[in-house]
Parts: sequence; C-alpha cells; structure tokens
Amino acid sequence: MRWGMAIELKRCIGCYECVLACKAEHFLPPDIFWNRVLIGESGKYPTVTKLIYNVRCNHCADPPCVKVCPTGATQQREDGIVWVDEDKCVGCRYCMIACPYQMRSMYEDDSKEYFPGQGLTEHEKVGRELYPHKPGVVQKCVFCKERIDSGMAAGLTPGVDREATPACVTSCPTKAIHFGDLDDPNSEINRVIKEKHGHPFHPEFGTDPSIYYID
Amino acid sequence: MIQMKPYEFMVKYTQQKDWIDGRGNFIAFAFFLGGISGGLYMAAAYFDSLLGMFVAWLLSLLMGVSYLAHLSHPFRSWRMFMKPGTSWIARGFIFIMLFIGFTTIQLILSQWVPEATTAITTLKVLAGIFAFAQSIYTGFAVSYVSAIKVWNSAIVPILFVTCGLSGGLAILLAVTMAGDHAQLVALENVTRVVLVALAIIIGVYLWNTTYSSTAAKEAVKRLIGGSLAPLFWVGVFLFGIAIPIIISIITYFVGEASSGLLVTAVVSEIIGGLALRFAILKAGVYTPLLPAE
Repeated sequence: MRWGMAIELKRCIGCYECVLACKAEHFLPPDIFWNRVLIGESGKYPTVTKLIYNVRCNHCADPPCVKVCPTGATQQREDGIVWVDEDKCVGCRYCMIACPYQMRSMYEDDSKEYFPGQGLTEHEKVGRELYPHKPGVVQKCVFCKERIDSGMAAGLTPGVDREATPACVTSCPTKAIHFGDLDDPNSEINRVIKEKHGHPFHPEFGTDPSIYYID
Repeated sequence: MIQMKPYEFMVKYTQQKDWIDGRGNFIAFAFFLGGISGGLYMAAAYFDSLLGMFVAWLLSLLMGVSYLAHLSHPFRSWRMFMKPGTSWIARGFIFIMLFIGFTTIQLILSQWVPEATTAITTLKVLAGIFAFAQSIYTGFAVSYVSAIKVWNSAIVPILFVTCGLSGGLAILLAVTMAGDHAQLVALENVTRVVLVALAIIIGVYLWNTTYSSTAAKEAVKRLIGGSLAPLFWVGVFLFGIAIPIIISIITYFVGEASSGLLVTAVVSEIIGGLALRFAILKAGVYTPLLPAE
C-alpha cells in the first residue's frame, strides 16, 4: 500500500481552501503551512500561461529527509507516509535543507498568536489541547494520517470515504485533488493518473514523489 | 520580519537560511571548528607538537558546543548517534566523539606516561584517522544535499579538508612560533603548498560548479559578483588566500620573517577559513519550483 495524490491543475482555481482546511484540521500555528498554493507564469505575451500548483510534502518513495535525519525522528511508514516524531527531533534542520521541494517548516515560537496582543482565539486554545505542536521541531504534511488510521480502523476507505480522506482533498470545491492507493492497480487514483497522464512535480529531483500532477 | 506571501514561495531562486541565519550560524562555526581542529591535529601529530594536539582537542570540544547551540533541543543530542547508516550528521557526531575520546587518552599518556610509546603511537594514529574524518565529514554533510546544486559537488569535501588543513597549519605555526626554527621553516614550506592547493581547489570548484546546473551557476554568480561578493573576495580570497600567500612568498625570499608578519598570516588564514564556510553555506540556493516570469 502506498498512499498518493493526483492533482488536476486545470480544475484548481487557486482558492486556497485546501490551505485553510489543512490549517484548521491540524490547528497549525501562525506562519506554518503544511500545504501551499504556488502561483507563477510561463511564456511571453500573448502566449502567457498562469501556473497554479497546490504543493505539499510529496511523501517521496525515496525521501532524502528520512535519510539525512540523524535521530530517526523523520520516519516513513509502510504505507509511504513520511512523518516526524516530535519527541525525537533535535531541531538540526538537516531535513529542511535536504528537501528539494522545501516543504518543511520549523515551528520555533509557541508564543505567537494569530492576532498579536489580543490573546489566543478559542480555536487556538482548543488546538493546543487537541493537536499540540511542540516548539523547536520540524513540521510537515502527514497526509492526515490520523484520519486515514481512524477511518481504516472503522472500515472506511481513504480516498473514497470522506472521514478517512485528507482534509485538503475533501475540502476542494472543484474536486481537483484525488487520493488513493498507488499500489492498487484498480484504484481510482491510478485510473486518473493513467488516463490523464499524471506526472510527478520535478521528477528530476529523483525522489519518486507520491503526488502526481495532471496538466 | 518580512512576511513571505504564498505566491512568492519557491518561484525564484531561494537562498537556504536554515543553516546560516540565527541559530544556523552555529553550524557554520561548527563546520569551521571541525575543519581546523582536524587539520591542526593531523599537522601537530606529524610535527609532534603536544601543544598543537591539545589546541586541536580544545577546538573539537568547541565544535561540539557550537553543534549543540545549533540544535533546538540540545538535551536530545544523544539521539544523534542513532542513524549513522544514512545520516552524515550522525556519522559526524560519532567521529567527533571518537576523536575527542582518543585524543584525551593520548594527551594524558603523552603528558604523564611518555614512556608508553606504543600506546601513544596507536592512539595518535586512531585520533589522526578521526581527525581526518571529523574534517572531511562536514564537506560530505553539505555535498550530500542534492537539493542545493552548488553544494552537491564531490569537490566540497576536498575543499573543506584542505581549508581545515590550511587553518590548522596556521594555528600550529602560531603555536610553534617561539620554538624550533627548523620546524618552523618546515611548517612554512608545507603551508605554502597547502595554500596553493587551496587556491587551485577553490578555482576548480567554482569553475566546475558553474557548469553543473542553472541553480549552481546562479549561486556562483552571487558569490563572485552578487550579494556575497564582499564576503567571497574580501573574506575568502583576500584573507584566506592572497594575504597568506604574499606573506609566504616574502618569508621564502627574506628567510626569517618577523613574528608580526607571521601573526598576520595566521589570523588572516583563520578569517579566510571561517569566511569560506559562511560563503559556501550562504551561497546555497534552491531551484525554483515554478517560473516567476
């Protein structure tokens, strides 16, 4: 089993809903993003193309971040999900340096508030209880592994059932993001990748990403 | 604080900041200290300078302190021994510990049990091996990062070792300045060769890197003619190469150089070594994920 995503770029409208859903799902502190929307342009007038790429950790099959981590804090599960054990991370930032996609963030300051000087909001207070983030450690997208694990334990199928699927996928208003098992030849995600010619982002980095983009 | 807007992220060449800004400065210091400590020990062991070996031991301890200062959670540093199979930082941590361990015993024996020559020689060889490992691993830790093309070069470890040796020889020169004249002359001769080698390696590294990728070329441009040019030309070239080589040539023709001139060369080489680590770490840029224009 290897979880992966396929993102249809023509369907993405750059609404940032996936970014907000991720923030809300994991109660991410200020300045921390586990996924982002990159916007760029290519070509010259009059043949200019606007590029909108929703990016997050690629959960690479050959992840350099896992290799360089000196403590074993960055780990890869059998289902391909790369995650950080916050209790083992020493904060050396070697994984941040090694990621060619720059999809890792260091959470340094837990005193930051979303509205500086006005105290924590109710959402932030609840977040610190439900999803505490430890300062001084590296953070990244975990493909909502909690949703996947609890969903599968309840007999649900990630990518099919909403409760077992990553928040960014379920929140997308245009259904631009597909999620599923890349190792299952009959999965919906493999069908989409095959039919629409999905390709990884910057395959030249050589890390074998688990996220595919469809032009 | 500059707020980076999401659409500015990775759409242009992005400088790595994790190993240079704020706490990241300590890793640059650690790499520098590891290099000169290793270089100094190897040189001191060859010239049999007990004081030199002691200073190398001190510098290695300082490197460890600098390393710990770089970490967000230094009390968890014992975990850094866990992954020597794949992580250069873990390997380096082991090299530092072994170097400090072997050198400690060797220094104790050399000072208080000098008749234990076999044990001392064995420990010197072992410490020498780990001095070299401590010096070269910093280069491997950097060159392993394929995401940053200017670092991802096989020349980087050689450059770091040579630079460490150059700094180490400079410190040994300072340590033995008041000692045996013949040894001083021999040391100066070795230093000249290492300095010329360092200059050639820096040149080859920059030339070679320029052709490896566009991101690496951009980094070299920043080093030679961009925002990092003052650091490179003043710190690395002037202090690290030009001044020591000029003084070296003067001492070669004059014969006996004044201690003031030698001190200038020593200080200059140390500044150059530090500037080299900072320049290379600062030059690290990532390839943009999207074109900006």
